[in-house]
Amino acid sequence: MKNYDKLVTDLAPRKFGKRGVTWTIFLVIIIIIGLIAYIDQVIKGQVVTNMRDYALWGIYISNFVFFVATSFVGSVTVAVLRLTNNTWRTPLVRIAEIISLAAISMAGLTIMIDMGRPDRLLNLFIHGRLQSPITWDVIIVPTYIALSFLLLYFPLLPDLAILKDHFKKTKPKLSKWYGKLALNWKGTIEQKAIQGKSIKIIAIMIIPVGILLQTIDAWLFSTTYRVGWDSTNMGAYFISGAFVAGVGALITVVYIIRRVRRLENYITDYHFDKMGKFLVLACLTYLYFNINEYLLPIFTAPVQEDIHLNALVSGEYAPIFWFAQIVGLFLPILILLFKKGRKPLPMFIVGLMVVVGSWWKRYIIVTPTLLHPFLPIEGVPESWHHYFPSIHEWLITAATLAMSLLIITLMVRFLPVIPIQRTADEQELLETNTNTES
Amino acid sequence: MLVMFISNIGLQHLYAQDSEKNTVRIKATYVKIMNKEIYFDIRVTSKIGNDNINVPSIELTVYNEFEESEIELGTVTTNMKGEGKFVIKDFNSIKPDSTATFNVLISFKGNDNYKKASKSLSFKDAVIEAKVITEDSINYIMATLKDTSKDSLITEASLTVQVVRLFKPLFIGEEFNVTDENGTIFVPIEEGIPGVDGNLTIEVVLNDSEEYGTVKDVVIAPVGVLIVDESTFDQRKMWSPRNKTPIFLLIFPNAIILGMWSLIIYLSFNLFKISKSKN
Repeated sequence: MKNYDKLVTDLAPRKFGKRGVTWTIFLVIIIIIGLIAYIDQVIKGQVVTNMRDYALWGIYISNFVFFVATSFVGSVTVAVLRLTNNTWRTPLVRIAEIISLAAISMAGLTIMIDMGRPDRLLNLFIHGRLQSPITWDVIIVPTYIALSFLLLYFPLLPDLAILKDHFKKTKPKLSKWYGKLALNWKGTIEQKAIQGKSIKIIAIMIIPVGILLQTIDAWLFSTTYRVGWDSTNMGAYFISGAFVAGVGALITVVYIIRRVRRLENYITDYHFDKMGKFLVLACLTYLYFNINEYLLPIFTAPVQEDIHLNALVSGEYAPIFWFAQIVGLFLPILILLFKKGRKPLPMFIVGLMVVVGSWWKRYIIVTPTLLHPFLPIEGVPESWHHYFPSIHEWLITAATLAMSLLIITLMVRFLPVIPIQRTADEQELLETNTNTES
Repeated sequence: MLVMFISNIGLQHLYAQDSEKNTVRIKATYVKIMNKEIYFDIRVTSKIGNDNINVPSIELTVYNEFEESEIELGTVTTNMKGEGKFVIKDFNSIKPDSTATFNVLISFKGNDNYKKASKSLSFKDAVIEAKVITEDSINYIMATLKDTSKDSLITEASLTVQVVRLFKPLFIGEEFNVTDENGTIFVPIEEGIPGVDGNLTIEVVLNDSEEYGTVKDVVIAPVGVLIVDESTFDQRKMWSPRNKTPIFLLIFPNAIILGMWSLIIYLSFNLFKISKSKN
């Protein structure tokens, strides 16, 4: 019982310290600045961005693709590891679920930002054609948001009930909220049966839905006849890329939470080692698809594709391209192949490299292709042949990234980041096994 | 704004000519399309600096010169390309001189920017009678050119035979189809020329003749290959509007959507069941 109390005390959400409050204020300030920039964009129109006839998709769509990719972490770590009975997942799944929900929610918001006129969102439903991958995207994103929410919520129910009791005396108001959110959870056989069955359905369902989400995201590009996008490889390429971005984000967030919340006893070097192996597998798969994506066109490329490839490999976009490939892919593989590279701190650095590399990777998937159309656009100024985001675009994008981090921060503040009930059950099982063996 | 900017440049250009007016040049062609219309095709240009520019929005008066008098036929204003089309509604209202030649004067009285100018045009009336005939299973276009004033056949005149196409006419026969002693040409129509409903619109043209102007006769003949309309308009295709979505795209995505959201609703209902579950 003493162990259980310690466990609850360790894992129950805690008030932020000075650093936590400063971090939250910092995020809120970025969001407010981004909001002002967005209001200005709505008033003046998208002329405040640097998107023109050539680069009609810019940083917003790159950011959208990044969010969609990151949200894949919910499918891969939670669902796949759950269905394959990998027990080391326990302290990591909740964080993965939180990242997944935050990322996919922001993906939905980012696409509205890109629309220029948010009130026209309704037109996508009124005039949407089922032949268009954009319509599929409009359908799959809310579906994934709903599933990600349910994947987070169902396993939370027992923990919310525990927190209700835990804060009953010290914070009655908060306890009341936990009670409401716990949906009268008593841990009865019936409740457990419904919960177990529901989680199983979600775990099975979220894998194809996650794959659909990434594939539709890829098809937004590959169904458009453009240099660099017109590829049958794109669906699998995006899935493997999402695998990398998602696990990279998970490692980064897990490291920070572990340090801030002092959870070293729960999230150990063993977990980092496992996540490291998971990430290196993802990176190797993604490397394979990258070779397919860039090497084959070198042999078969027509003139336009050749211009595009040259712009990436040795031209205007070479610094970003090689940064994404080397920092975001080659170096992480090299580091993670060694056991020392899979320790928490190197893993955190690798996670950061992967996330930043993933973001820029989306930038070079979207922008250079648009600047190299098969048919040139007549009568446009020379400056429109190039694209670099405007200050409005940077501020709004930074705000969406800050918003996703704020969602994660607030969930970490108010929810148990490691499943309490499940950890307790596993420890109890471990102790029982130990006693039986002795 | 761009339009305003450009038009402003143009106006400055013209205003700069206040001290010295520009000369205009009038070009005119007499065109007769058999059984359809007769008109003067007019184009007005002016050389300003090194450029020949089209002169828009100026009024031209058309006169019939007859026995040293000028009978006004009407006016025409040039469009933005400096072009004007003066249609002769009643050909009998124009009077020829003693040699059966019609004399027309197209006059511009001048304005603040341009000097006055005029153009004289003389022509005789001619007709082309064209028809399609078939000999030994070969289709020919037969056309006869006549001078109506003398009611005589015009020999050794070069006629063009062409099939009307969307962008540019398709010439058939020889480069020069010269009329014989009967004022007639015979031009075989090649097989396999496609036409809407199998019809070919064939034109026989006397082009910009010094004596007769341009005279054209149009024959529509069912001697072409039927064009089979391959348009996918109104079919269920990937590029059709939403009410023409392919059936498979209506079935599978909607089935998937229905399946996914049924499960999400079921899962949400499970949350409700958990909240109502008794101890």
